[in-house]
Amino acid sequence: MSRAKLTVVISQAQGKNPAKRALEESLAAALIMESGLDVSIVPYLYDLHPDHTGRMFLESISGDMAVLSWMYPRAAFWLLDRDKIKGHFGETRLKPPVDEDDGEAPPPKGIGALDVPDRQIYCIDLRDANNHASFVEEVLRIAAECRERRAARQPAALPAMIELGIRKASDPPVETPVFSPEQLLQTPDRRWYPVIDYSRCTNCMECIDFCLFGVYGVDTLDRIMVDNQDSCKKGCPACSRVCPEHAIIFPDFKTPAIAGAAVGPIGNLKIDLTKLFGGGDALAIAALERDRELVADGRGAVGLTVGIPKRQADKAPAVKDDLDSLMDSLDALEL
Amino acid sequence: MHEDLTFPMGKFPAVLLGDLRYSRNHMWSRAVEGRLRFGFTAYAIRLMQDVYFLDWHVSAGDAIERLQEIGHIETSKAVSDLFAPVKGTIVEFNAELLKDPSAINVDNYHAGWLFDLTTDALTDDAEATMSCPEYYAFLDQNWEKTQNSLKGHM
Repeated sequence: MSRAKLTVVISQAQGKNPAKRALEESLAAALIMESGLDVSIVPYLYDLHPDHTGRMFLESISGDMAVLSWMYPRAAFWLLDRDKIKGHFGETRLKPPVDEDDGEAPPPKGIGALDVPDRQIYCIDLRDANNHASFVEEVLRIAAECRERRAARQPAALPAMIELGIRKASDPPVETPVFSPEQLLQTPDRRWYPVIDYSRCTNCMECIDFCLFGVYGVDTLDRIMVDNQDSCKKGCPACSRVCPEHAIIFPDFKTPAIAGAAVGPIGNLKIDLTKLFGGGDALAIAALERDRELVADGRGAVGLTVGIPKRQADKAPAVKDDLDSLMDSLDALEL
Repeated sequence: MHEDLTFPMGKFPAVLLGDLRYSRNHMWSRAVEGRLRFGFTAYAIRLMQDVYFLDWHVSAGDAIERLQEIGHIETSKAVSDLFAPVKGTIVEFNAELLKDPSAINVDNYHAGWLFDLTTDALTDDAEATMSCPEYYAFLDQNWEKTQNSLKGHM
């Protein structure tokens, strides 16, 4: 019956923070006691190379998943999507919605993900509560939701072929290869690369024009993709600042808007008051960050001359969206 | 010494204390035991609303430049990086806020102070800070623009 189980993956924090490790361990211990869950622990999702056992394990999971990690749910979800671990975004309820008095959010205008299998992936941010009980409760709620959805969808589902064979109790589960905890938990080297949120990305190509390090590319359908993840410059979030749709996430960056928090020009999300509170112009900051990396590579700084002005030059004022107008008016404050 | 003023943000009265200095990034300052103490003005708090999370990227003892990024805040309505209002040296952050930031909303001009610093920049340096009536005028000048543009996001 393990097909009906919800796979729960706890992704560890980087480093050895005792408080984080303690939460991970107490959470795992509590979840293992619950029936209907398959619980596994892997290292920090973002750092998993394609050949890491933890990544292969994730790829082998075919059903619904709950992924608990130390990053924003959007970051975790789209990071998995890039790794071809795809599904539909499962809504979690640990945090209340940002805004209750606004109307419906407009439908996302991004190009969306492709080849999404019929399953849900729920991503939970381990920073959203500091006791394991809240997470256990949410995982159990998700498990129940998944059971109900399956029951409602296929009342007379045929058992999968794979379950027709007679298996001994000692046999490993057939549908997923066995990965030893030691292999799963091998500490990977730290990585740094952008993650594209395709629910927001409009394929405008500003990132590929801006980045001079060959990180971005396009797939066979001419959709933008993060092609060479490890060509990215550690610590540099410049392309994210340039993205007009706030679709580029660096899960480890300190500013929540860039790390994948629910922030941006879309509907019910929080506003960014950075400019009002004394922050500089995002494009200028991005150009400085890029120049620093160019110089470090022994190349010449290009300032604002490459890959930037297109948006300003091409766009008539009439088609500016709300955020553009907000930014313009904040510019006028001369902070 | 100036009188307290009330800046009307729609129906919300943003109280500005007359004896404080103000900076353009919407922080107040007050001289406390040879230091300058800073906090958010009622105007800033009305825009942000309930503070959920406050994080500093510099430490006590660090020298900071004016408008250097020094921290980050997340509230019910907004997020923002935080910037140094003047050049100086951080002496102390309000440790209570790191445990529970709600004092920022409850008592922004006193218990909700953010940090103390020492600075050579004079407290009445026109470059760095404004008097209460000057800050009122600054808000008034920009209110319509700010309001129009924020409206869709509030």
